[in-house]
Amino acid sequence: MSFVKRAGLYCLRQRFKMLVLFLLLTLIATFMLTGIAIHDAFKEAAARVRTTVGGKILLETDTEGHMGGGRQNEWGTAYYYDGDLITEEIVDAIKKVDGVVDYNCEEAKSYYGAGVDFKYLPAALGLSYTPYGEASSYTATLSSKKCKAFQSGKYRLVDGRHITPDDIYTCLISKELADYNQLSVGDDVTMYCLDSDSKATFEIVGIFDGTKGVAGNALTVDEIPANCGYVDYAAVKDIFKGIFDEEGYYQLTIYVEDPACVQSVYDQISALPELEGKTLKLTIDTEEIDAISTPLESLQSLVNTAMILISVVSAGILTLLLTIWIRGRKREIGILLSIGKSKVNIILQLFTETFVVAVVSFAVSMPFGGLVAKRVSVFLLSRVAAGTAGLDVRISAAYLVPLYLVGILLIAVSVLASSWTVVRLRPRDIFVS
Amino acid sequence: MCIMKICNVQYSYDGNKKVLKNISAEFEAEKIYAILGPSGCGKTTLLSLLGGLDHPSRGQVLFQGEDIQKRGLAWHRKNNVAFIFQNYNLIDYMTPIENVALTSKLPPLPLLERLGITREEARRNVLKLSGGQQQRVAIARALASDASVILADEPTGNLDEDTAAPIADILKECAHQMKKCVIIVTHSNELARQADVILRLKKGELQ
Repeated sequence: MSFVKRAGLYCLRQRFKMLVLFLLLTLIATFMLTGIAIHDAFKEAAARVRTTVGGKILLETDTEGHMGGGRQNEWGTAYYYDGDLITEEIVDAIKKVDGVVDYNCEEAKSYYGAGVDFKYLPAALGLSYTPYGEASSYTATLSSKKCKAFQSGKYRLVDGRHITPDDIYTCLISKELADYNQLSVGDDVTMYCLDSDSKATFEIVGIFDGTKGVAGNALTVDEIPANCGYVDYAAVKDIFKGIFDEEGYYQLTIYVEDPACVQSVYDQISALPELEGKTLKLTIDTEEIDAISTPLESLQSLVNTAMILISVVSAGILTLLLTIWIRGRKREIGILLSIGKSKVNIILQLFTETFVVAVVSFAVSMPFGGLVAKRVSVFLLSRVAAGTAGLDVRISAAYLVPLYLVGILLIAVSVLASSWTVVRLRPRDIFVS
Repeated sequence: MCIMKICNVQYSYDGNKKVLKNISAEFEAEKIYAILGPSGCGKTTLLSLLGGLDHPSRGQVLFQGEDIQKRGLAWHRKNNVAFIFQNYNLIDYMTPIENVALTSKLPPLPLLERLGITREEARRNVLKLSGGQQQRVAIARALASDASVILADEPTGNLDEDTAAPIADILKECAHQMKKCVIIVTHSNELARQADVILRLKKGELQ
């Protein structure tokens, strides 16, 4: 009788043991599949984050040692940057660098405007240092869609469109501010700027949300995020024409096609003759990617550790269970040895018995693995900062290949370890004991 | 014709207590050998050495003139000898047919029927058979291997007189009709009387 037939008979006749083994192997396989699925989902999510956020290089003015001697005005001494700005010549040279796909300027607090025909959400102090009350800050940008808050998902455009490089005298305001003043897309708002001592009218091209509930105990209106908006860069340039004569940007975000090529693009930009001797700083901006991918990577490493632990503990439990059962089959092994069956033949029988159950268990664990993986991923995602990335956890049939490979290895090690204590004995010793 | 031979065989546990001391004997086909002796004299050890369940500390066990260790003890157990144990040693999750099929050189059912096991009994679990029936299954398994030597360790030790008698007859049939060499270790004088040759073992020596 072959070892396969003996194994088959054992599986058929020892149904309770096989049921216990089936449940144990299904549990192990479910955890393993869950681990593989979540591991892959995190890997995909991290790659998606890199693609979505993309590679960024930041070019900005180097203010250290270049803040001038100070200018006297009615409020006191004001210090202004007197170094080089990012000129159109520099921007043109950067655009031609291989791998650069786009650029944007995002200068926070570039424009302070007091509402001439609208009101800001009130702050604690209720200051009124302009004829139109307190002023709030606006970020000047070429393209609001590429601004950090929108890229990270903190802000979301709910109405209208984004500011584009062709716009002039356009703005984005928060939904809270729009609701407070009953403003909508297409309306005009007029603001007074103390720095330029002029009024300017902007068209509301878009409304965004994401500011609700983050005001805290603001003392001034510009400390309330809902009061702060976005204006196009061309308008700011126009408003300050004649006051600040320098031509150029203070900050430029350069977008790279492939995040993996950021370093090479950085090196090419650094070597541009247009930047030589300029008081400008060039840095690789990983802030957003890090903010999103670091928690994902930490969780991925946690899942990896959990998977290794599960495998080791599973092998331990399986070995323990098989050891107990195989020790109980000492006499049977002695009988098989006495009729001339080789040790290898007997170990193959024991392996086949477990393997037959494992084949069924692993197949059955597919749907269970899917359910558990989804629940675990929801739990893990709740541990990651909100607004980062979603996990697409799926158990595909392809996962069965690593599962079977790891499973067979695990069973082989467990069977070998547990059977060796009996099989290594001389047949006579087995009968004597 | 000599089929098995032991030459100056010694056996000791851990090199100290000698269980068998310089034993030599020859065993022929078509004969029943009974090894008699008091408990602890080394009867079962001698049978184990003949069957390749263990190897002697000194000396040789020869099968048809060849040392059984030359081709390996497992090979010897598989091809040359078959065991019948006092406690039957059947695999408990199998039927008689399956137990006999373990050594399947001959078809199991005719053998079982020849030894008085009905078709219905042959398909039951072995634990549902009586002691005598289980021993018949064990004998059938030994015969199915078609081995030249049958080694029986107290084959009637667990059976009453009425059940033991037919077992003795079957063993005689194995030797005289099937031309096998049957070596029986026993305490039973009744069974020993049926043997062609009686070997007495005392304090590890053949007398």
